[in-house]
Amino acid sequence: MFRDTLGLALKNALRNRRRTLLTVASISISLFLLGVLLSVYQAFYHQEGPPEQALRLVTRNRVSLTFSLPEYYEQQIRKVPGVRELVPTSWFGGVYIDNRPENFFPRFATDPERIFEVYKEFTVPPEQLQVFQSERTAAAVGKTLAERLSFKLGQRVTIKGDIYPMDLELTIRAIFESDVENQDFAMYFHRKYLEEGLPQSRRGMVGTFGILADSAEAVPRIAKQIDDLYRNSERQTKTETERAFQLSFVSMLGNVKVFLLSICGALVFTILLVAANTMGMSVRERITEIGVLRTLGFTSGRVLSMIVAEAVLISLAGGLLGCGLAWGASGFLRQSQLMLSGLSFSPPVFLISLSIALAIGILSSLVPALGATRLPITSALRHTG
Amino acid sequence: MVNDLVVEATDLHKEFQRDAFQVIALQDVQLTIQRGEFVAFMGPSGSGKSTLLYLIAAIDRPTRGRVEVLGRDILQLKERAVADWRNENIGFIFQTFNLIPVLTARENVELPLLLTHLSRQERAEHAATALGLVGLSDRMDHYPRQLSGGQEQRVAIARAIVSDPSIILADEPTGDLDAQSAQEILTILSRLNRDHGKTILMVTHDPHAARHASKIRYLEKGQLLPEGSPQPE
Ligand SMILES: Nc1ncnc2c1ncn2[C@@H]1O[C@H](COP(=O)(O)OP(=O)(O)OP(=O)(O)O)[C@@H](O)[C@H]1O
Ligand SMILES: [Mg+2]
Repeated sequence: MFRDTLGLALKNALRNRRRTLLTVASISISLFLLGVLLSVYQAFYHQEGPPEQALRLVTRNRVSLTFSLPEYYEQQIRKVPGVRELVPTSWFGGVYIDNRPENFFPRFATDPERIFEVYKEFTVPPEQLQVFQSERTAAAVGKTLAERLSFKLGQRVTIKGDIYPMDLELTIRAIFESDVENQDFAMYFHRKYLEEGLPQSRRGMVGTFGILADSAEAVPRIAKQIDDLYRNSERQTKTETERAFQLSFVSMLGNVKVFLLSICGALVFTILLVAANTMGMSVRERITEIGVLRTLGFTSGRVLSMIVAEAVLISLAGGLLGCGLAWGASGFLRQSQLMLSGLSFSPPVFLISLSIALAIGILSSLVPALGATRLPITSALRHTG
Repeated sequence: MVNDLVVEATDLHKEFQRDAFQVIALQDVQLTIQRGEFVAFMGPSGSGKSTLLYLIAAIDRPTRGRVEVLGRDILQLKERAVADWRNENIGFIFQTFNLIPVLTARENVELPLLLTHLSRQERAEHAATALGLVGLSDRMDHYPRQLSGGQEQRVAIARAIVSDPSIILADEPTGDLDAQSAQEILTILSRLNRDHGKTILMVTHDPHAARHASKIRYLEKGQLLPEGSPQPE
């Protein structure tokens, strides 16, 4: 029964080959775009960080990232139950060589004794770590960064200050590595070195605290407890998971989430209209045939499922094709490093895209199919056109 | 036999509402058809011939009155049951053949069997038999567009008889055909009536076609003239 319905649906789908082909093509192009957009969305918002990330929080000034926190908060935060370790980091900003984007990389002033305790996914050769920790002007750079800018151990690097009124004269003493792609695109140097170069009035401030929790379960409670500590102080804090913190960077680009989702929505809506129009057309041409089938004893439900099956076949064909294209494009974009390195057309995105194709098939055909099958048989038979 | 009454219509009345005014398509029709009869219905355009066939096939419902077909009050049946009943008991033939263009002759004929419990193999056999009966064994894998009008109508007849219904309703089956093809169709219908015991109700405009029937009934302005009435002017 099911197989026959499907067989009939397939034959009907191939009735007007050119129209079917065009419909499949337009659905596949839309689903291709949708697939890529969803992959981008996923890369931004749903990518798994390293497992250690689940244990980490970031505390910053409640007002915004550009405001800092007093360093003595560290002692108080350390006393919050569940906090295993924490480390202050301050975004230095500054200019390396010039302002070209190729020469840009994040650089942080931090505590060399603890930075790799909190960021355990970074591995540093022990002898390099030792030199980095003992030399006041030492810097540690990530491997990805080192490769990109050909940094070598022992190389001297000058960074002109902009946020801070001082220049850094650093020597690269350690190269750390992470197994998560692009995680190690950063430079760390001694906070003490920064402090010494600052006028008295600007000392004693920290950008953020990176916190390592005892367990993932403790994370939400720790966040709340820290923020409660400073609820009534002049500088209130905002503590969130590291993941959420990273996303707040993304949202500084504007509301990317809403932007991406609204494009996806518009895309789905448009393709739904196109598909509904095509299905409406092909059903209208077949009103008499529908009357004939019902005269032969086909129930309207049966005819309805045949029409819907036809639309689903067409839209799934388009969907699969589109997913294939999106998969290829994501791979290409990832390799070319033009866009997000984490971009990949993952199984969940594939399933979502295919479900959307399925829904488009059902929704686009349901209205014309209902209209045609609810028509009295006599009217269907008398239909001309 | 007790129940040799195939069709029994009592006070059958059908009105259509068209815009502001009502069209009376059938007016208090009394009709009985015996098993094995071949009845031709004649009458001017708009006299209600098609409407009568539709009511007997339970394709449409009367405004009032009763229709019993094969001893069954078909007005009591729900949509689903009506569909099954029609599939089992009624073969319908249209003036315009109404084959499904994307299906071959055999597939068209198999359509009504998709609703039965027959296996694929059995369906193919039944379809082949039906196509054999209308002399199209050599055209089974042709598509409708590869067939002549007469051949198309023969496929349509095969489709109408494939589930072995006892009643065949034909609405101007030769209306779109040349004289020779029409003759072939009428011969087939006569044979189905004579050799296979099918009860046939055929609407036609053609007096020559009507002569193949065992009885001619005339309709005029929705009224069925009494049996034996001469052809009205
Ligand atoms: N679905 C409908 N809606 C409105 N009026 C209808 C409908 N079906 C039939 N009629 C009207 O009912 C009357 C009888 O129609 P019917 O089709 O039964 O005539 P007919 O005898 O078969 O005519 P023809 O020889 O032209 O096929 C006509 O006036 C027709 O216009
Ligand atoms: Mg008619």
